[in-house]
Amino acid sequence: MPLLEVKRLKKVYTTRFGGNTVQALTNVSFTVEKGEFTAIMGESGSGKTTLLNLIAAFDKPTDGEVLLNGKSIHSIREDEIAAFRRDHLGFVFQDFNLLDTFSIQDNIFLPLVLAGKSYEEMNRELAPIAKILGISDILSKFPYEVSGGQKQRAAIARALITRPEIILADEPTGALDSHATESLLKLFSEINKAGQTILMVTHSIKAACHAGRVLFIKDGELFHQLYRGSQLNAEMYQKITDTLTMIAAGGERFE
Amino acid sequence: MSRFFYGKIALNNIKRNSKTYIPFILTCVGAVSLFYNMYFLSVAKDIGSVSDNRSLRLILRLGAVVVGIFSLIFLFYTNSFLIKQRKKEFGLFNVLGMEKKHIARVMFYETLMTGTGGIVTGVLLGILVSKLMILLLLKIVKFKATFGFEVPVEAIGATVILFGAIFILNLVYNYSQVHRTKPAELLKSPNLGEREPKTKWFATIVGVLSLGAGYYIALTTESPLVALNIFFFAVILVIIGTYCLFTAGSIAFLKMLRKNKKYYYRANHFASVSGMIYRMKQNAVGLSNICILSTAVIIMLSTTFSLYIGMEDELRNRYPRNIMVSARNVPAEKAEELNRFIGEQVESVGANQKNIVYYRYMSFIVIKSGQEYVFGNSAGYAYNNSVLFTFITQEDYNRMENAQVSLDDNEMLLYAVKGKIPGDDISFNGLKFSIREHLSSFSIYEQSSSILAQSNYAVVKDTKTIRKVYSALNGDGDMGELSYYYGFDTDAEKDTQIELVRILRQKLGNVTKDGFVEGAEHERDGFYTIYGGLFFLGIFLGLLFIMATVLIIYYKQIAEGFDDRDRFNIMQKVGMSRKEIWKSVRSQVLTVFFIPLGAAIVHLAFAFKVITRLLLIFNLTNILLYAGCTLLVVFVFAVFYTAVYSLTARTYYRIVSA
Repeated sequence: MPLLEVKRLKKVYTTRFGGNTVQALTNVSFTVEKGEFTAIMGESGSGKTTLLNLIAAFDKPTDGEVLLNGKSIHSIREDEIAAFRRDHLGFVFQDFNLLDTFSIQDNIFLPLVLAGKSYEEMNRELAPIAKILGISDILSKFPYEVSGGQKQRAAIARALITRPEIILADEPTGALDSHATESLLKLFSEINKAGQTILMVTHSIKAACHAGRVLFIKDGELFHQLYRGSQLNAEMYQKITDTLTMIAAGGERFE
Repeated sequence: MSRFFYGKIALNNIKRNSKTYIPFILTCVGAVSLFYNMYFLSVAKDIGSVSDNRSLRLILRLGAVVVGIFSLIFLFYTNSFLIKQRKKEFGLFNVLGMEKKHIARVMFYETLMTGTGGIVTGVLLGILVSKLMILLLLKIVKFKATFGFEVPVEAIGATVILFGAIFILNLVYNYSQVHRTKPAELLKSPNLGEREPKTKWFATIVGVLSLGAGYYIALTTESPLVALNIFFFAVILVIIGTYCLFTAGSIAFLKMLRKNKKYYYRANHFASVSGMIYRMKQNAVGLSNICILSTAVIIMLSTTFSLYIGMEDELRNRYPRNIMVSARNVPAEKAEELNRFIGEQVESVGANQKNIVYYRYMSFIVIKSGQEYVFGNSAGYAYNNSVLFTFITQEDYNRMENAQVSLDDNEMLLYAVKGKIPGDDISFNGLKFSIREHLSSFSIYEQSSSILAQSNYAVVKDTKTIRKVYSALNGDGDMGELSYYYGFDTDAEKDTQIELVRILRQKLGNVTKDGFVEGAEHERDGFYTIYGGLFFLGIFLGLLFIMATVLIIYYKQIAEGFDDRDRFNIMQKVGMSRKEIWKSVRSQVLTVFFIPLGAAIVHLAFAFKVITRLLLIFNLTNILLYAGCTLLVVFVFAVFYTAVYSLTARTYYRIVSA
């Protein structure tokens, strides 16, 4: 059984007074196996973020369903969804979404505190993760005191600390400089090698070519997918570029 | 074309910011019409019919000044809040190619529109309700209203000039704000990277100390006259304490909570405590303003209300008998003559006499110095240790109390109205008396003169003994004769009583010099004018302060709403349920909201004693009445406050969940 199963997902947005409708997703189906590092690519407006929001249960699909471990996440009751999200999913966002009012450590603790863990327990969980992410010495600082790369590491620590089944990352490198992007992607690869499943939405080719598999979305539909196999990053980079060029040119599917 | 263009932008800006601008304009309208009305009343011709119209006009003029100053401060404060919110908008204009002078022009049109709109509407509204106001005022001071409608140009002029100046001041401030900041700064989101507030121990300690000192003064002041001198000082201390504790103390306290790991890392404390630290940083000043305004409103309304309600008591306290005649330097034979004279005059108007109190006395203000009482001049009256002694002879005492007391030369009966004198001996600058008896009741004492200072009545053998006391205290010099007091109640009509007082005043000079006549009925109108005027002023200023409180609360909710929106989003994404977030946010908002009211009530509790002392000066002795009025006002205020909270909270939730 795949870890994550997306079935015939459709999302139609209706403007407030029901006048115009916009079809964000027409029909998207794919699966993610445990331990996979999958990237979803597409141009702005292709429906990437909508897809991620549906997988994270931030939004309800017009049609279709999302199964995590065989369980439909949209059938979960509204008052249990937050706990479900906290226990099973980890999030990394483009703009980090750290709370200004918390120190880095408290930001990372947030999901555990909500889950009712004790302070000692949280500290035990945090120590190894902070070490891997290289943020042990900035834990007492506040988000405005550290760099973008460090903020994103903190956000990843927050996502990892609950030992989620899958990490959903929305443009995690979008707000970072090239140096920080590089080290972050390396980090993702390492975490992935350690067994963490990651689903990442991005339009950065550089980010995508670290993934084991790249899905392309165009106009709300799954357009194409590439497997890395044993290819090097550079080869992967070339293939992704070709695919994107073709999507932009509006051509037919090849291969 | 271009003038039209800027005007149009200005109009659009106001429309777009209607959530903040409509309350601002409404406040202007309110402040303008309140000021117009206060000024109008102080110059209105109708007020001329009131007996003590000069005092009343003085009260109203004072009210107008307070309203004016308050409007200035408050509109300036609100405007600075608005312009802070809009910095980003002006930054955008600047980036899009508008020069600062163009922005200034837009601002000019905005101010012109809001200002003209606010002032014109305010004055029109003011004129509209002015008749109502004057009817209300005349009703309160119990005078008949006349027909007709007045619109004094002077009042309109003063209103337009004052508020025009306020708007110009605001415009200049706004210019300076835009001029000073660079576009990049203007564009920056105001909350980005806001630093965590530092713990300011110094300010916290200053706050605790000055609040403690203010409370201490309020609790330990016994003498009303001392209270009058020191009350203002205590108020200042409490205000300083409030500001310091709200700004620094609250943060110090919250940080202490955060240090307690067991307490802090709990789902329901975690977000609240850290959120509160920031909230207090941004809102502490506004909250202390609310706290102080609330305290002021409640005190003003409860005191003026209880004074007005207790008017008859106060009148009786001030004038223990309907008609009272007193004179200085009256020998025994002259006193008989005065008694006869008064009796004749009372008969001449066909009135009766009852509850007659008549005696001769001599008063000394002395200062307690160790075990000794020594001479004190009347300037020392205000001090805590000055004591009033009124000496009367045993002859008068026996007559009034139907007693047969026979005292020795160095003996006295002592009645202490307030403040006990312990022991069996008492000494006036070396002249010793033994106290035969501490009297537990004394029918003649006058409440009003006794309440201000510690006061005692001493009954001694005869006038000669009183002369000895005089010599002991003052050294040489002639005491002269004793003073004379004659007071009685009567069932006569009000007009008759007033006529009687007039006749007595007219003819008293023929019988004795230094005579003095007072009549309660004669003074009643004056009482109503003053106390009614104060009550009216209390309502009026209370209304103004409440309006200010409402506006501060409203703006606070909006500002917080915008702040909390992002935080709300993030927490939801990280795995906090909507319900949990609502709960946390609501508890924070509620706490922040009701802290000022709670603090105001604590202030009131500590101020209670000193205020009852101050009310004694206004002859209000009924502490229960004041307590009742305070409770009533607090209750009404709390209900009102809660209503405002829940109304504005809706705007808040709408912003947060948008």
